[in-house]
Amino acid sequence: MDKKHILIFISLSGILVIVFVLSNLVGSSQLTFSKSIYYLFHPNASGMGRDIIWQIRFPRVMLGLLVGAGLACCGVVFQGLLRNPLAEPYTLGVSGGAALGVSISVVFAVSTISMASFAFLGSTISIFLVYAIALRKRFSNTTLILGGVILNFLFSSLVFLIFSISRAEDVHGIVLWLMGDLSSAQVSLIKFMPFFIFPAICLLFIFSRDLNILTLGEEKARHLGVDSNKVKKVLFLTASCITGICVCASGVIGFIGLIVPHFMRKVVGVDHRLLLPASCIAGAIFLIFCDILARVIIQPLELPVGVITGIFGGIFFLCFLLKSKHLELF
Amino acid sequence: MLKVKNLICGYDKRKVIRDISFSIEKGDFIGIIGPNGAGKTTLFRAISNILKPWNGSILYKDKDISKILPRDFACEVAVIPQILEIPFAFSVEEFVSMGRFTHLGRFQTWKEGDSRILEDVLRVTFTSSLRKRKMFELSGGERQMVILAQGFAQEPVLLLLDEPTSHLDIFHQVQILDLIKNLNREKELTVVVVLHDLNLASSYCDKIILLDEGKIFREGSPQEVLTYQNIEKVYKTIVVVKENPINLKPYILLVTEEERKRKKRYKN
Repeated sequence: MDKKHILIFISLSGILVIVFVLSNLVGSSQLTFSKSIYYLFHPNASGMGRDIIWQIRFPRVMLGLLVGAGLACCGVVFQGLLRNPLAEPYTLGVSGGAALGVSISVVFAVSTISMASFAFLGSTISIFLVYAIALRKRFSNTTLILGGVILNFLFSSLVFLIFSISRAEDVHGIVLWLMGDLSSAQVSLIKFMPFFIFPAICLLFIFSRDLNILTLGEEKARHLGVDSNKVKKVLFLTASCITGICVCASGVIGFIGLIVPHFMRKVVGVDHRLLLPASCIAGAIFLIFCDILARVIIQPLELPVGVITGIFGGIFFLCFLLKSKHLELF
Repeated sequence: MLKVKNLICGYDKRKVIRDISFSIEKGDFIGIIGPNGAGKTTLFRAISNILKPWNGSILYKDKDISKILPRDFACEVAVIPQILEIPFAFSVEEFVSMGRFTHLGRFQTWKEGDSRILEDVLRVTFTSSLRKRKMFELSGGERQMVILAQGFAQEPVLLLLDEPTSHLDIFHQVQILDLIKNLNREKELTVVVVLHDLNLASSYCDKIILLDEGKIFREGSPQEVLTYQNIEKVYKTIVVVKENPINLKPYILLVTEEERKRKKRYKN
């Protein structure tokens, strides 16, 4: 890590703090900017403003931070493991699997915790499906993404199947959530999330050196002393868990796992020991920023944040496709 | 050092290696040759601890290699596969450094000794000037040298190479094999190399194993193995074997169909 990288990390952290604070200050309510600042720095004051900041906005921003960081890290890990620059929870169908899990759990009206386990189960099943498809076809880039897209279609059809046969009031809330939404998460889940997401991300960091070597392929990694099977399992499971929890809390937010790692590779390089932490911070920044946009663009109404990331992601994807001659060389 | 006993292995249900035994001693420079489909790469993958034997055993220093941890194996044996795709834009320096990590614990950091070894392997492979370049920017010859440098960074006692010179021009073919030969002579590095080019195998290897249909057809010095009888039998093509005037080793010349016909006409 040289001077340039230290500077990058300092500025990333700085930006994160700025968007974090800013995000607490804007919103659809009548609270003025200066009052928001007052309440933000006086958490013990009383009144409606304090409640808006500390009970509504703060948990939501926190959620954005966790989900953004989590999904960006998962993107890095999936791209490295599958040696494919287009892999991410969304394009691999993992988010779709988790969404299906949650939809099933909503129909059966289970508790929050089992909802999380349904999401986790869905994401794990779909990642293994994608993995199995890829393994049969020797991890070619097209099959992998095609497999993910097909799974996504399949899962979303099943989600709509469930919707169409269940009562309207059961599924009303879930439609917004499916588009990716930071406002509908339960506070109990948000309180639990940091204790899961941060250790999981740390686990990914610990394996970042192995991840570097694994990008050379399973066999070469073995030749260089990495127990490929074991490391792959650990990383796959951890990343699937993170995805599952994130989808459970905030729905299907696409493209973060794609844009952020790509952008950060341009900034810090491809070494995962730098790329993972950089993507982690940048992912948090990106999602919080998108959420600010989602809240202010059509004030006083709100957009689901997944719509914003989807628009950004789609445009980015297109530009990337048109500009890059060597899609493989990221 | 490495003992292969009655090895049988293959993929799924297809048996490729049918009962092969041989042993490698310290300081050997062994070439494995044979026609396409004879099982060269399969044998290579078995001795590099990727493919599990169906039957028989492979012992490294009298230990079953399937029981050696990848980490411990990588500290002693470097493997250079035939094809290596590098999907991300690692720099040469980053790429070669990966060869050191097998010697480092998970929480151990890079030390001065590791930097010294990095410099050494870059120097001996003539790649010092490329260190900041990205892997995908390199030419085929430079790239192969860097891959070799990564292997040397593991500080191996046994080096396994699968066709390290295919697709390279003669300058790089000779440069790479000369380098390996020097390490073999000076540092007693044991080398096992799969080669397609019979003349390269003849010039560089002390011992040659000729494979045919999953079995060892002949084994011995280049003079013993590379006779026109053996080659014509295994490769099913007409060749002429002469003595190379420079190193006095066998030199294999091909005969085209046109020339074969012309020869026949003269005879008649």
